[in-house]
Amino acid sequence: MRFVWISALKDLAWLRRDPFSTLTWLAIPFCMGLLIHLVFSGGQATPQGRLLIADSDGTVASNVLSGQFTREPLSKMFVVENVTEEQGRARIGRGEASAFLLIPEGLQNDFLLNRPCHVQLFTNPGQTILPKIAVESLSMTVDAGFYLQHVATGPMRDLATTEGVSEEAVSRLAVETVRLGNSLRKYVDPPLIRLETVVVQEKKTNVGVAAFFFPSMIFLALLLMANGLAGEIWTERAAGTLRRLSTTPASLASFLTGRLLTVLLLYAAVSLAGVAVGRWLAGAQVANVATASAWAALSGITFYLALLLVALAASSRRAANVWGNIVVFPFALIGGCFFPFGAMPAWMRNIGKFTPNGWAMLQFQDVLAGSAKAPQLLAAAAGLAAVCALAFLLALRQLRRGFAA
Amino acid sequence: MIEVEQLRKSYGDLTAVDGVTFTARPGEIFGFLGPNGAGKTTTIGCISGLLTPTAGRVSVMGHDVVRDGRRARQALGVAPQEIALYEELSAIENLAFWGGAQGMRSPLLKERIRKVLEVTGLQDRANEPVKRFSGGMKRRLNFACAIVHAPKVLLLDEPTVGVDPQSRVRLLELVRSEAAGGNCVLYTTHYMEEAETLCDRLAIVDHGKIIASGTMPELRSLVAERDLLRLTGAFRPTAAITALEHIEGIEIIQADESVLMVSLPDGSRKLPAVFAALAAAGAEVRGTSLTQPSLESLFIKLTGKELRE
Repeated sequence: MRFVWISALKDLAWLRRDPFSTLTWLAIPFCMGLLIHLVFSGGQATPQGRLLIADSDGTVASNVLSGQFTREPLSKMFVVENVTEEQGRARIGRGEASAFLLIPEGLQNDFLLNRPCHVQLFTNPGQTILPKIAVESLSMTVDAGFYLQHVATGPMRDLATTEGVSEEAVSRLAVETVRLGNSLRKYVDPPLIRLETVVVQEKKTNVGVAAFFFPSMIFLALLLMANGLAGEIWTERAAGTLRRLSTTPASLASFLTGRLLTVLLLYAAVSLAGVAVGRWLAGAQVANVATASAWAALSGITFYLALLLVALAASSRRAANVWGNIVVFPFALIGGCFFPFGAMPAWMRNIGKFTPNGWAMLQFQDVLAGSAKAPQLLAAAAGLAAVCALAFLLALRQLRRGFAA
Repeated sequence: MIEVEQLRKSYGDLTAVDGVTFTARPGEIFGFLGPNGAGKTTTIGCISGLLTPTAGRVSVMGHDVVRDGRRARQALGVAPQEIALYEELSAIENLAFWGGAQGMRSPLLKERIRKVLEVTGLQDRANEPVKRFSGGMKRRLNFACAIVHAPKVLLLDEPTVGVDPQSRVRLLELVRSEAAGGNCVLYTTHYMEEAETLCDRLAIVDHGKIIASGTMPELRSLVAERDLLRLTGAFRPTAAITALEHIEGIEIIQADESVLMVSLPDGSRKLPAVFAALAAAGAEVRGTSLTQPSLESLFIKLTGKELRE
């Protein structure tokens, strides 16, 4: 029994002395989570362009026109820069901005006197999205101005023709605008149905693609780790340490148990890190971090033992690698570790659910969702433990029957 | 003490060890000398419990290696032919692991680790990963791991293969000191000079069998005062043998189209007669070497081939 700890300590020392390997294992779920987050969830960054404005009018009307680009949501898309007409023309000609808005002198007067108004928007043909956004936004403002001209012609003309803007004129325009609004309300804002909304329970819906992929990534990492760690037995064989161990009183069972302890510890660390990444980076729902990590670690150790049997049955290290990959990749593909079951065709999903990794991942998803019942989960864990015990005995038999000699 | 009686180990039709019998006593370095593939490592494997003998009996310090394997292995220290170490771990970590595998506990284990590092001259590099060690240092650590638990019986399987002269001298000194401390050492090698200078008794093995054994004087007496003459060139074997048979005391060891090997008393005086006989037989001699009686000449006489073949 004491040699179990000695063996585990030796393996832990190996992990400590070779931190790159350890970090690689730990980095797998981190990197995958991060990549998916960046590609799908974190990749929704708003494009930002530059809008040049040459305002030769400098009135309230021209400010209304240009001000829309300095308020949200357009301010997130455009960096607005005031320029002269010459500068604007030169820079848009060099492609240094998404668009250039030229507001001529006299815009406000023309607008208030119901005369044709002209503004010019030059767009950068080298860009597609942002110039179109600028055109659409400006069109909407111009349309709004058109309708305002038609419904408030009188008051607006008064504003334009009166020497200085008197309080009386402003009041009159305000009264006219309210009256106009009230007369239109029955058409645009009819309160025919009174709808009362009561929020019964806040329900989390789809939190993003990263969260959708998260269980698959965790289980893919577990499988890849298992394959790599199982192949390490060939390093021991090649070094002759297994043979040497067979000449000592220490038992191979203790040696293998020590190795399992280390692998379990490593899996626990990776699972915890993976679940943490899923919860806090990908925004996945994790009902119970500890249970989810424990289940992932138990699944991982089962994969390790299964792949250890494959490695022990191989005729060489290279063959062990090949066979390991032959087992891991199809199982990962069918068992939902590359693509979630939800993204699979029905026939493949139905097969995949019965693969060991697919089954374990479904249990994991239940744990994440908080829908796993304790008795069922315990029974499933007992099943995995039984598989582990059987695989352990078979691996030990292989070691004793000549692999270590 | 190691007792091997009629040991046989077969793999299907191939018999790697065939009826080997010997006893290695406490305080003795018992050499196991033979070419590659002679059965030395298989014999070591059977003694260390790594391989199960097909027939025969092997005991270590009175414990049968098959029926009482655990006790037998407790008395054994094995330095395998390959450097069986964990390269990522330090010398101390390796020693702690292999000492632990032998059932040692601290503080005795720590004390033994300190001591073996000192005697092998590795104390200054004790905390460095083994992968940074030179070949000679790795060999010394390989040996240190075999003696960390102070075993009564040491099995050293070609422990000086591929090491620098300095490490070799140090290793041989360590082996002598182990024997001087009353431990039994079974030492396999195919280095003739190493066996001659190191071993108290020797067994020469070939094709899985012991073909001669005894102390160095006993083995030398087998070749008496006969010299070994080796000729290279172009020969007609039958004609050469016929021509040489007339020379008094000559014994043909090997005769083929390019090499002729004979053993003869007072070889330097008889060289002219040998050359004359070969010239008469139409042979063309291009190279000659005459060696004094040695373990090598004994080996060649017994097996008809050189040790490194």
